[in-house]
Amino acid sequence: MKNNIRVERAIKNITQADLAEAVNVSRQTINTIESNKYVPSTVLALKIARVFGKPLEEIFTLEDAD
Amino acid sequence: MKTRFLFPYWFRYLGLACFLVHIPVMLLFKEHHDMDNAAPGLFSGSHVFFIFTTLMVTIGLFLFAFSKQKIEDEQIMQLRRDSLQWAVYFNYVVLIATLIFTEHMEISHIMQLNMWTLLLFFILRFQWVIFRLNWSAKKGD
Repeated sequence: MKNNIRVERAIKNITQADLAEAVNVSRQTINTIESNKYVPSTVLALKIARVFGKPLEEIFTLEDAD
Repeated sequence: MKTRFLFPYWFRYLGLACFLVHIPVMLLFKEHHDMDNAAPGLFSGSHVFFIFTTLMVTIGLFLFAFSKQKIEDEQIMQLRRDSLQWAVYFNYVVLIATLIFTEHMEISHIMQLNMWTLLLFFILRFQWVIFRLNWSAKKGD
């Protein structure tokens, strides 16, 4: 699964720490999600999408391998 | 994130204290008592000593292993579960190897060690993945 959290963060001009605080996780978790090392749960993915005010599919997309 | 069955964060320091306290107690006791010629029996000096130190180490490791992290989230929970599974596998490999390759070791001694090795492997593995996580996050800045 790919995501464009890094891009969305840049648009909204917030740091990893800001996003982490908004969705109640550690900054490390946001960092690993951004670098595709960790796949968030549905709940966390929805929370992240809500912070950016966009539907889930615009932020997280499936890859061919999934 | 709701976490069940975990101790509060500060319990890790309590666990560490339990573990550290048993060392001077053990050294002092060993110096003043002849362990080999101690009177046997339930709740004799050596038995109480054995219970005290063994329990101290076990409780210490247990509290340290199962106290919350500063920030609990789903990734930490996943790492904890992975580490637990890894520790159980590794522990049984070591246990089986010990049973096969040791000849003159008492089985009760092996079991006593085994009581700690599972927790110890879990703690080492869990702390290691958390260290790596923090390190890669720092590098990613």
